[in-house]
Amino acid sequence: MEMIEMNEAKRLIEFKNIVKDFDGQLVLKGISLDIYENEFVTLLGPSGCGKTTLLRILAGFLKQNEGRVIFDGEEISELPPYKRELNTVFQKYALFPHMNVYENIAFGLKIKKMSKDVIEQKVMKMLKLINLEGFEQRNVTLLSGGQQQRIAIARALVNEPKVLLLDEPLAALDLKLRKEMQYELKRIQQEVGITFIYVTHDQEEALTMSDKIVVMKDGEIQQVGTPTDIYNEPQNRYVANFIGESNIISGIMRKDKLVRFDDMDFECVDIGFKENEPVDVVIRPEDLDIVAQDGGKMNGVVKSVLFKGVHYEIMVETVPGTTVSVKMNVTKEHDVASSDAKERISANHFFVDLEDVKDLNDAEIIARADAQAWDPENDEYLSISKIEYELKEEVGNYPVTFSTVLGTAVTVNIMVVEQKYVENPKKNEAISAFNFFKSVDEIKESVALDTDLKTWANAQGWKLSDESSVEIEDVEYDFDPDTITPGVYQVTFSTKGRVFKVHTTDIAEEGAEIALNFYSEDIHVMSKIGY
Amino acid sequence: MKTFKRLTYPYMLWITAMIVIPMLLIVIYALTKQGNDVATLQFTLDNFIHFFTDADFLSTLWLSLKIACITTILCILIGYPIAYLIAASTPAKRNLYILLITLPMWINMLVRTYAWIGILSDNGLVNHVLQFFGIEPQKLLYTDFAVILGMVYNFIPFMILQIEASLAKLDRSLLDAANDLGADRLQRFLKVTLPLSLPGVISGITLVFLPAVSSFVIPKLMGGGAYMLIGNVIENQFITVGEWNFGSAISMIMACIIMISMYITRKLDKSDDAVSRKRGKV
Repeated sequence: MEMIEMNEAKRLIEFKNIVKDFDGQLVLKGISLDIYENEFVTLLGPSGCGKTTLLRILAGFLKQNEGRVIFDGEEISELPPYKRELNTVFQKYALFPHMNVYENIAFGLKIKKMSKDVIEQKVMKMLKLINLEGFEQRNVTLLSGGQQQRIAIARALVNEPKVLLLDEPLAALDLKLRKEMQYELKRIQQEVGITFIYVTHDQEEALTMSDKIVVMKDGEIQQVGTPTDIYNEPQNRYVANFIGESNIISGIMRKDKLVRFDDMDFECVDIGFKENEPVDVVIRPEDLDIVAQDGGKMNGVVKSVLFKGVHYEIMVETVPGTTVSVKMNVTKEHDVASSDAKERISANHFFVDLEDVKDLNDAEIIARADAQAWDPENDEYLSISKIEYELKEEVGNYPVTFSTVLGTAVTVNIMVVEQKYVENPKKNEAISAFNFFKSVDEIKESVALDTDLKTWANAQGWKLSDESSVEIEDVEYDFDPDTITPGVYQVTFSTKGRVFKVHTTDIAEEGAEIALNFYSEDIHVMSKIGY
Repeated sequence: MKTFKRLTYPYMLWITAMIVIPMLLIVIYALTKQGNDVATLQFTLDNFIHFFTDADFLSTLWLSLKIACITTILCILIGYPIAYLIAASTPAKRNLYILLITLPMWINMLVRTYAWIGILSDNGLVNHVLQFFGIEPQKLLYTDFAVILGMVYNFIPFMILQIEASLAKLDRSLLDAANDLGADRLQRFLKVTLPLSLPGVISGITLVFLPAVSSFVIPKLMGGGAYMLIGNVIENQFITVGEWNFGSAISMIMACIIMISMYITRKLDKSDDAVSRKRGKV
């Protein structure tokens, strides 16, 4: 029994249900967290997640609205910062510009009225620890970022605090220096043997240095664990996304150790979910292997290959997107001039689905027909003052006439059809688009042709399960917009397929047909989170 | 670039006509004998010798420096706490306070000084109040006290604004850091806030001491007709006595004293200034 007691690290800090709001905005929504002696703890999250606020509450610069902070067995919420046994390394170092290196480091000791020779001893020891011996008399404002950073650490550590708080201390340094300082910080922590609480938004920094990572989001703790726990067993989609790169797929847990996604069942090692519970599935890019077609668990096509230094990042599409093709009727100019040639007006025929007829109004019809009137002298737009049409909720052609105030008019057809759409049950989605009419000029003048084509064809994708919209990722066409002539062309719209990101040292050809292989323990199943 | 350079010519002309030539005239007047015409300039140092050998003039100079120093010190002692409170308040309140500080400056200085005469005179406001409490009427107007009061009242806004500006740009995280390292409020003020606000204090000193040492309207009104500071002496030499050469010489002596004092404040400011400029860049 005693042995266990001795091995157990001592609990140093306890946050008990900390709530904090700024002007009514909740920044911390009840944080409870224990921090032990000699731990390197990282509070990790994007900006605005409350990590710095939590740190400032611990340091005493802010006061929580609710909850208690217990330090070494004592409630410290009412203690001013200068009475707390911890020190902070600030984001922008906050070195005193009117003092040299020595005076900066000695600041806390002088406040404590230590004798001169003791102060000198301690400061020299610190300068040695941070490898800046001989810098005593230097002006702190003339030092490099990395040096200032180390002075700030020394200035805090010289007071021998039980806990050192570090608020994004490496954020202002460049990449190479940051990596060096990561090792340096870890070394210093191990050498002085005290608790470090480190705030960062950099997941790599957190994984490199921490004994324990606290992942935060929107004022709540998402997961607490060792770097390996957090990386290999993320608790939800948010954590998986934030830490490292990952392929996250929606799936269904069929039963223990069997998960279904992309219309296929896969063995896994996860248990404890309800039968047929919707889940999120994570497969890390480095856990996927590229093998010969039909030799793996999923067949696919290599979409792109990116060289990343130590590995290639290969995108493999295992399930193609959903595709629909429409015909684009390109005519010459089709605008109509007024009798005195002072006005021109143009409009296109357009198709509309029988179901959508009831939703058509004047504005919608002008937009769909792309009706425009203008003055040819100065190219200024004129308003279309009158629209005449008769529509029935039946399949057929219905003329519509647009006219200006002066009576210049153009008539086109609204073609009501029963639109077919393409379903793709494997990806749980459907896509539809309409044939459409355009003039040569309109195509040539388009500045964002893909977007315009989507609008003109009224291309839409949606999920079969809940009709939520699915983005159309790809627009392909068989003409050159700069040299297009009247005629009929094909335009194809497709949604994004299921693409897996693979990190591998083996190269694969773009367009190659391959298969992806992985082990059942590489699949990690997580509960869906409620947002 | 050449075309832009040409745009400065009118300004150069203005400076020459309004500043350089009058300055040269002062120098020439100070170094010549009275009654010379332009063709026969007779150079002499008599004017300077006259000033430095006359005990009355020297004691007037001494009094002027003393009054200016007292005024400056009082401005710091009163202005710093006010500036500190303004800098510590919310931005909206800060703007209001700064408006209140600058508001009196919208009114002519003479008018404001006359108002003080009304307050301090033998049967003025202060003595009425004293009488009410059964205290003997005091002679307040036409004393050193009245002169210093007038100067402090007129020049203190410059001090407050300078100190407030340097306090307002103080990095809050430095204060947090001092607290974090164990300093309580007083220690934090003495070791961080005060030294870092010194550049503001020093430019405040420049802005108060210089006008105070050469002021002549305030001593004339608040000190009475017989009250002489060096500014009044110069005014007298030009307007009453008509000794332009001697007046010019005193002006030059004053200019030298002012330049020396500016050099000293610059020197004091230098270390802090270099620091704040460096910080501004970061």
